[in-house]
Amino acid sequence: MENRPRALLLKYPGTNCDAETARALEAVGFATEVLPIAHLTTEALDGVSAVVLSGGFSYGDYVMSGRFASLVTQAKIGDALRDFRDQGGYLLGICNGFQILTQLGLLPAGSLVHNTSGRFQCRWVTLENKAKDASPFLSQLPDTFEIPIAHAEGRFVTTEESEAQTYLDNGIAALTYTTDVNGSFGQIAGLRDETGRVLGLMPHPERFIYREDHYDPDWSGEEGEKWGSGYYLFAGMYAAVTA
Amino acid sequence: MSSVLDRITTFPAPFFRRMQISDLSEADLAAVSQEMKLGLSEEDMVAVQKIYADWGREPTDVELEVIAQTWSEHCKHRIFGATIEHTVDGQSETIDSLFKTYIRDVTFRIMEQKPDFVLSCFHDNAGFIKLDDEQAICLKAETHNHPSAIEPYAGANTGLGGVIRDILGAGKASKPVASLDVFCFGPPDTDQAEIKGSDVIHPLGIMRGVVRGVRDYGNRMGIPTVCGAIQFDPTYIYNPLVYCGTAGTIPIKDIDKEVTAGLKVISIGGRTGRDGLKGATFSSAALGEASHEEDQSAVQIGNPIEEKKAADCILAGRDRGIIEFVTDCGAGGYSSACGEMLEEVGGTIDLDTIQVKEEGMVSWELFISESQERMVLAVKEEHLAEWQELADTYQTELTVLGDADGSGVLKVVHHGETVCELNCNDLHGAPTRHMTATWSKKTSDHAGEISLSGSQGDTLKKVLSDFAITSRAPIIREYDHEVQGNTVQKPLAGAQGDAPNDASVMRIDGSDQLMSMSLSVLPEWGKTDPYAMGTACVDECYRQLVGSGANPERIAILDNFCMGNPDAHEELGALVETVKGIAAAAECYGAPFVSGKDSFYNYFETPDGPVSIPVTILISGMGVVEKKEHVTPAQLRHSDSIICALGATTADMGGSVLARIEGQTDHSVPATDLEGNLARYRALYQAITEGLIQSVHDVSEGGLAVALAEMAFSGKGGLDIDLDSLPVTGEPSATAILYSEAPGRLLLEIRPADLAAVTAIFADQPFAQIGTATASHADLSIEWGKQSIVTEPISELKDLWKTGLARYY
Repeated sequence: MENRPRALLLKYPGTNCDAETARALEAVGFATEVLPIAHLTTEALDGVSAVVLSGGFSYGDYVMSGRFASLVTQAKIGDALRDFRDQGGYLLGICNGFQILTQLGLLPAGSLVHNTSGRFQCRWVTLENKAKDASPFLSQLPDTFEIPIAHAEGRFVTTEESEAQTYLDNGIAALTYTTDVNGSFGQIAGLRDETGRVLGLMPHPERFIYREDHYDPDWSGEEGEKWGSGYYLFAGMYAAVTA
Repeated sequence: MSSVLDRITTFPAPFFRRMQISDLSEADLAAVSQEMKLGLSEEDMVAVQKIYADWGREPTDVELEVIAQTWSEHCKHRIFGATIEHTVDGQSETIDSLFKTYIRDVTFRIMEQKPDFVLSCFHDNAGFIKLDDEQAICLKAETHNHPSAIEPYAGANTGLGGVIRDILGAGKASKPVASLDVFCFGPPDTDQAEIKGSDVIHPLGIMRGVVRGVRDYGNRMGIPTVCGAIQFDPTYIYNPLVYCGTAGTIPIKDIDKEVTAGLKVISIGGRTGRDGLKGATFSSAALGEASHEEDQSAVQIGNPIEEKKAADCILAGRDRGIIEFVTDCGAGGYSSACGEMLEEVGGTIDLDTIQVKEEGMVSWELFISESQERMVLAVKEEHLAEWQELADTYQTELTVLGDADGSGVLKVVHHGETVCELNCNDLHGAPTRHMTATWSKKTSDHAGEISLSGSQGDTLKKVLSDFAITSRAPIIREYDHEVQGNTVQKPLAGAQGDAPNDASVMRIDGSDQLMSMSLSVLPEWGKTDPYAMGTACVDECYRQLVGSGANPERIAILDNFCMGNPDAHEELGALVETVKGIAAAAECYGAPFVSGKDSFYNYFETPDGPVSIPVTILISGMGVVEKKEHVTPAQLRHSDSIICALGATTADMGGSVLARIEGQTDHSVPATDLEGNLARYRALYQAITEGLIQSVHDVSEGGLAVALAEMAFSGKGGLDIDLDSLPVTGEPSATAILYSEAPGRLLLEIRPADLAAVTAIFADQPFAQIGTATASHADLSIEWGKQSIVTEPISELKDLWKTGLARYY
């Protein structure tokens, strides 16, 4: 009998970080199923503790990133993800997953638009953890840590820049970049929702599960850290689910 | 207008025609080839005529198109199979097939010496080497030069898309895990007014389009682009080169595949349209001004998500064990894929089943269209339902095209008519070409000294900011080089994540062993000495792989040639010399060629005459790194390390970046000491596996000065270097010591406590401590002859290096 908590990873056509994200989920203790979106039904969420939307280019992202995927999701299961969250489920969206969760309205209002550079950017960034207490996902992470980004549309904007400031003030902006990497308002890299059970972030924690994946072979990390920083984000979600 | 085609068409069906060629003159046969754009020579057409005379019938247009694809240079590599009369400085020899003599036989001899290493080569889409008891790795590289010249974005986009499909079609489907790209462009600062010929795209336009094309395909497919190189030279203005390569993994049990009678032939992926007609024949001819208008239909349109869905579907099928055979639709489309699949067993393809992008396509268009994102499989009938379910799951289209029947004949039907009926075995009789090559060894009258226009420090700055050396970061960062989460050693690393690595190392899921990938391309060398270019390219690629931690006994390489006009004797002579060079190095190093490709007719007819590219060889390689602890970076890691040089520096400045900058290109090109280097690399591997080496940077383009600077770009410390103890051959000057690009050399970073052990390992080698890292300053400080010859802040050098290309990109 499988007694590990279950994670469900939604795979759209063009989702391409599913394998390594599933690997990360398994590493922290989840039994993980990668579910092609063609098979998504409301029932598929039964018995699931966490729903994860990984990186990629869903449907090519030829219209606004995440837009088409959010429409398909809504057409298939309506508000089931909202109900899932309301019933205590956890939702994590990474990169394209963050874009999709934003389009679905599961995260506070805002948009992820083209980087001010107009370029796709693949590089490591330093993040500030603004919600160590308020977001279970971030509970095991230090105040600052590094993971890579890889996106062309990661600039977080709100209708008025003041809204982004509000997110910073009230801790909704769970993660910020320490430098301006893409023009995001308030250098916002990730958002949580009011419940704390939903997190969306542009950077890729699944790419820094193993220590040796840091770009600097002499990365020392936090004292006694066995894993790369990204591991602890998934571990935080696991701890919350199993608490 | 009198058309020979109209005259000989005997069955003008709306979708295909029979043609009466049996009584045509040689001139008319050539005219048929011309009008149908078959790309077949008069001699070829005569051979075709004879084949049909033997069969006692006349061909259809579909059959002629199939034969043209089968016999095209792109598919058949007839120049590498030709009999060549090669003359060097009056000495002649006859070479019966460059491929057999220098590529295949070298590889076969290495395979005999190293059983159980190469698991498959030459007959599949890519060659495989053993990673561990369960898994194999493969690598394939292709060019997409002509499409990229006339439509840079789409050309490069589909270039990468195509080579990814090669991997998906290798064995019973391999999983693509990493890509490489190598470009040769005209200089970004080329004056538009200097470009002869209308409609020629400026090198900047080519570069931006090509990079974005590769980016959008690789990133959307989720395959990290981890290795690359760019060469800038005016000879590439009219005919840029775009090499794309992809590596894959496969369970060893899934390498062998076979088509048997009774299997169903299915297509998975995209639909078929008129895009990409005659790409194979188009790429086997020269470019001209008219190409930019006329040949647009030869460039395909890429849709990476379509390919991603097909890949997900096919890999899921592989894991379920329901693939019997798979290959990709590349050049020649279904005609090549089905032709290859049904070559022995025979079978029937029904064109009515093909899912089309547009209505009204005639038989030959349907059969040879190179529309992208299509894979062809042979599967058991009892698995069809499961395949349909997988196709629905991954939202891709599946079509049953026909079946394999054991007849030995490839039969194609359309609207109930048989439009093609060929016994593929009879088509192997393409006439062997007889060609002439000459090469005259260039003698250098230069004393070997480069006269500098500034101080050594100024020269170093000039070299670091030259297009040949300057950081490729703006491009590397547009590629998602970390997707799949397995890029352990990244193209850019060091304390600031922006110093270059020599090779990228990938973790392979399910294995403790890793794959290192690297490459070398040195066209400047070949202008003077193509043989030396060949040996040096193999040497550099091999050296970088060993330096990154790969076992020197477990390295395999690929040869990808590009050249101009093979009918020009001197150009073909340069190719022959290059082939001999790579063969000699590969054989000495025991590095088999597991795959390769060639691209000819890379020249452009300007109003002032043809401009050919220099013979350009890309050597790319994969090596097995046996433990993750062996992975060795190319940047300085500690501020208290000892810096050592391995390998001797010579005075030869030919082919070097500095010689080119200073416009002194008549120097002799350094030779490669193959035996000596091999012993050195084996010793290096021993030192790496004993944990004695902190970092290794190979000395290549830009020479020792650039290698030292790049090592220090990690930001971990300054360098105090004294070159008086540098191992040398002859008496190189300070300039040669700093900028010679002699092969076989590496810089090693060693902990002080390990120096004695390392010195013992290199006792028989040209090896010496040349300096130390330091925390006391952040300069690159170089002494020679008891004098300071370079003292420059590393940050200043790095700024120049980082911004050289960024300005243009």
